[in-house]
Amino acid sequence: MNVTSSIMPFLNAFARAFRTKPRDTAPVRSAFDLFGKVLESNNKALETIADMGDKLGGGYLFDAIYLRDAYGRLREDVRHSMAIFRDLTHNRYPQLDDSYERIDGLIARVLDDKPSLSDECVIPLDSISWGSGQGAGGKMGPIAEVRNRLRMEVPDGFVVTTAAYDEYMKFNGLGDDIRRLANAPSREQARVYLRGAILHGAMPPAVSNNIARALLKLLEKHPSASLALRSSADEEDGNCSFAGQFASLLGVSPEPLAVELAYRQVLASLFSDKAAAYAAQKEIPLAKLKMAVGCMVMVDAVASGVAYSTIPGEHDRGRMMISSAWGLGESVVEARTGTDEFVLRKAEQPELVQATVREKKTMLAARERCEPVEIDVADERRNMPSLDAGQLGALGKKVMDIERHFGNPRDIEWAVDRNGVIWFLQARRLNISFPETHPPQVVASGQAAIIDGLGVIVQHGVGAGTVFIPKKPSDIFDMPKGAVLVASHDSSLFVQSMPSLAAIITEQGSAVSHMAALSRELQVPTIVNVPRATHILKHGQEVTVIADADRLAVYDGIIPEALGSTGRDFSRMEAVYEYRRKRYILRYISTLHLIDPLMNDFMPERCRTLHDILRFMHEKAVAELVDTAREAGRSFKKRNGVVPLDLPVPAGIMVMDLGGGLVDAGPVKTVGQDTVASVPFRAILRGMLRPGAWHADPVRLKARDFLSSMIRMPDLATAHDSTAGYNVAVISANYVNMSIRFGYHFNMLDAFCSGNAKNNHLYFRFAGGATDLVKRSRRLELISRILGSLGMSVKMKGDLLIGRISGLPHAQMEELLEKTGTLIAYARQLDAVLHDDRDVDRYEWQFLKGNYGLR
Amino acid sequence: MEKSRIMVIDDEKIVGDMAKMSLEQEGYEVETFLNAEPALERLKEKRFDVVVTDYKMKGIDGMEVLRTVKRDYPGTAVIMITAFANLDAAIEALRGDVHDFFPKPVKIKELKASIKRALEKELAAK
Repeated sequence: MNVTSSIMPFLNAFARAFRTKPRDTAPVRSAFDLFGKVLESNNKALETIADMGDKLGGGYLFDAIYLRDAYGRLREDVRHSMAIFRDLTHNRYPQLDDSYERIDGLIARVLDDKPSLSDECVIPLDSISWGSGQGAGGKMGPIAEVRNRLRMEVPDGFVVTTAAYDEYMKFNGLGDDIRRLANAPSREQARVYLRGAILHGAMPPAVSNNIARALLKLLEKHPSASLALRSSADEEDGNCSFAGQFASLLGVSPEPLAVELAYRQVLASLFSDKAAAYAAQKEIPLAKLKMAVGCMVMVDAVASGVAYSTIPGEHDRGRMMISSAWGLGESVVEARTGTDEFVLRKAEQPELVQATVREKKTMLAARERCEPVEIDVADERRNMPSLDAGQLGALGKKVMDIERHFGNPRDIEWAVDRNGVIWFLQARRLNISFPETHPPQVVASGQAAIIDGLGVIVQHGVGAGTVFIPKKPSDIFDMPKGAVLVASHDSSLFVQSMPSLAAIITEQGSAVSHMAALSRELQVPTIVNVPRATHILKHGQEVTVIADADRLAVYDGIIPEALGSTGRDFSRMEAVYEYRRKRYILRYISTLHLIDPLMNDFMPERCRTLHDILRFMHEKAVAELVDTAREAGRSFKKRNGVVPLDLPVPAGIMVMDLGGGLVDAGPVKTVGQDTVASVPFRAILRGMLRPGAWHADPVRLKARDFLSSMIRMPDLATAHDSTAGYNVAVISANYVNMSIRFGYHFNMLDAFCSGNAKNNHLYFRFAGGATDLVKRSRRLELISRILGSLGMSVKMKGDLLIGRISGLPHAQMEELLEKTGTLIAYARQLDAVLHDDRDVDRYEWQFLKGNYGLR
Repeated sequence: MEKSRIMVIDDEKIVGDMAKMSLEQEGYEVETFLNAEPALERLKEKRFDVVVTDYKMKGIDGMEVLRTVKRDYPGTAVIMITAFANLDAAIEALRGDVHDFFPKPVKIKELKASIKRALEKELAAK
């Protein structure tokens, strides 16, 4: 789609209008011109982001030349957009430039292939994502992902990164010794020297200070914590587990000196003899490895163990194995005690197929701020299963979810605490290979697809699960894990649930939308523009979604052979180290953090990616236009360029045309509804004038309302009502900004409705009322529910209600505008009739059914 | 049955690594090289069915690889990939009897299909 061609006709019409219109409308025209240019640049940038997401999605071979070229184009578009945005907003957001410079610098590091992609020494677990290259290492990266994306229980903590490791070695002058290790006359002696130097080395101030700060924060939440320090070496290609080769220390006191001592021990273990022997076998030079260290709150475990999400050596990928013992899991991994083993078949509810319960004579027990101690297990528990059926089922399901998320078998360490909560401590890749599955057999099976070939694939993959069709935006928070989201249109609000979705299907959408960028980034199979998807598929129906180069189809039921061993067809390219490192650039480009413009943290300082910057600019450009247009409408003194709108109802609206908003009928004293050419304004008027929506007779206030307001609701049927003159609509062919005051409440609406869904938005504010606070609150609640049912995101602050939506295609936006127009008319006298909370339910139901009576 | 052997020559490690990952999934045996000199030496030791080579490399470039393979290993197909796709480069390669020519980024699915066609062509010729 050519972005420019969709905007230029409008801008040309605007330019023609600008030459003939009087000066007092100049500010809003200028703002509108700049607004259009911001949108145009933003859209170009979003298209480049979409292209990069596609090319870096695992389906293409790409190189650094492509990355530099693509980023060069993107950079130019973003900078151009920022320059126009500065003009539009009178440089009100200088912090945006700082955010941009910071992000640009980080991207430059990726492009220049700097070894450490983040120079942060200590990063909280909450801020890490797998494959991000933040220097969290091969163990902490995935477990942070389990915590942050899958939202499973992982102990609080932080990671002392590989950047800290580099700093430590440099600070202690050990860089050359490490580099010379491979060629040392005696490598064993060289390692002994290195270990000693590390154990007795000085802590760089930056690392020490950051650890101390992180500990303070941790202790605020966990004042009596003991800590576990876990090695997390930065393996190059993910093919080497180094399982058990490096040190992990338990029961560490959360004092900075104790943590630093333990930290040195973990670093030193990089050069242990057993690690060296393993590395030699795998032909990995030790000098190339870097060590991150995870520092986590210890779980006071009743039972712990290891789960293999797929059993090595078995051809059947449909089974998992869970090993378990009493106390801490180290006794299992180090085989210190008898271990129970359970084999489960993977299914919606995992099924126990084999259980081997062994005698567990001893267990490793945690002690407060001390190393754990081995103690005897009480007689009555020695031969009891260390996990009951409920725990096995719950753990099995989570193990499946973890495997599904990463797209490959996982070696998972877990623990169950005294409250029965299942915690995860590790989710390392399990290096086993299988013969490859072939493309799904469903084509040969003769099963007909319920959706076949319709739609546009935004992200390739295969997913299966239960269909979830949200009725209102807030429903997405109730979506079960593994669901297939089916919605009428795409929305960046889905991001909060995306990591756990099997697939996404929308009736309307775009390959360059915010949601599309997120689908690609999170690799959720996504198909948009599937007509009538919410009618063809049923809420609660099980389906398999296939979105790959050969096939686009949705089948009834779960088809296991289409999924292979995982619930989602994940890019195997993630296993290629160079690919992960280069793909990391998207972490600074396409990930969206600024989601809801109504939230307090929607600030330039919170921009972490270029996508955030584009989104910030878009939303603030809309806000600037809204404010400018409202000011223009409020402050007009002469009637040049504004004309009264003659309607069958006494709405008292004056119209200011920016260009293309009215049919050109020469100089007139008033205009009628039929001369309105503005698409969004026409839709609102159609809605306001819907039969029954506008109540001409005043609703009598009850005595209490009279006393609380001290004035009767004004009857706007009279011609001399002075408040009517303040209602202004600033319009153009695709735009409307309306400020309407009816009695003592205000509606403000700003909307853009064009053929390009990305540019479309509706912003609505409602405030005030003449009755008492309770009734006004009920009206707000009613309006909020209705807007929510219509798909808008709504926030309420006291007497003020704000609703917004963006990215809707033209037809849907028009329909929504019409309903909003009806609501504006309907809501005029609502508060007077909402006598109790049941009335809110009643009138909501009535409105949505098209019944606008107020008795 | 012996696996088909693919050689990938590209001065960017990521291209070779990604190609190896994806082509091995198809059951091919894959070897990668960061430049052409050791690749051509390897060709003397082992037969390869298809060579996928970058067009522009320091030292021996893709066209030189193409000429060498066509002269010394006529049963081996050559596929050219390049970040500098232009008509002249494509014409030059096609005149050199290249099996296929892809601008980067290369769609892996299309590369796999092209390799498959090359192998079928080779088999038919035997």
